[in-house]
Amino acid sequence: MAGLDAKTVRVGQALQPLTKPAITKDTLKRYAAASGDPNPMHLDDEFARNSGYKGVFAHGMLSMGYLGEFLVQAAGHPSAIRRFKTRFAKLTWPGDVITCKGTVTAIQDDGAARVVDCDIWTENQEGEKKLVGTASLALPRG
Amino acid sequence: MPSKDMIGRVLSTGSATVTADHISAFAAALEDSNPLYQGAEPIAPPTYPIAFMTQAMAGGMDTFLELGLNFMTLVHGEQEFEYRRPIRAGETLSLTGRIADVYEKTGGSGTLDFVVMETEATDTKGQVVFFSRNTLISRRM
Repeated sequence: MAGLDAKTVRVGQALQPLTKPAITKDTLKRYAAASGDPNPMHLDDEFARNSGYKGVFAHGMLSMGYLGEFLVQAAGHPSAIRRFKTRFAKLTWPGDVITCKGTVTAIQDDGAARVVDCDIWTENQEGEKKLVGTASLALPRG
Repeated sequence: MPSKDMIGRVLSTGSATVTADHISAFAAALEDSNPLYQGAEPIAPPTYPIAFMTQAMAGGMDTFLELGLNFMTLVHGEQEFEYRRPIRAGETLSLTGRIADVYEKTGGSGTLDFVVMETEATDTKGQVVFFSRNTLISRRM
């Protein structure tokens, strides 16, 4: 089980990382269709180059989706995520292999829940941070 | 340019029914094979609200122009979700999008305008399901 345990979780603990398959232009096409985002910046190299980029780059929300999967893995279930925030600090490119990482920054009890605050981020194969953010997870104290 | 007196203004509303197919297609695009997102009665993955809002709300380019943001330099700077419970297939959610904050930052490369758009989703009982806060940033020309 890759998730956090309410009984043993401690500040400073690393969350189990999640590495996703390399991002391809096909990944971006599929995400554009499923999310309803038609922005050509993520689909059309010519358009992206004319806008001053080296080519298409990934939707920020694709990487945030990867962080969502990572948080569900840590929390055990989607219903345990209370809050989830990211800043799109750097662009993610086709060819990048994204790993989601995080550490526990605070723990407090709220009724039947142990609320675990985390710093979270994505990084590529070179360790360059792309999205940075925070999340609050409510683990059952059971 | 965007101004503080826009705070609180409702920009768009919408309503739609969540479908199992939309949820599972979204999870597939994220290459997330969690069985909770599959089958006839799935719940939605954490970032699904972004796809649902796109489907259920009008707006887009017109909204950005109305805000006074420079569309050519517009970027999605930050995204926040606050959840009360997961979204379930088959339920109808109503969305209300309003301007939650407007501010600016001036640095060496000029002035940046920040607009925080907050969308509230409620179920048919009027209970809040999630909030989404989307920070848009554009460089002032």
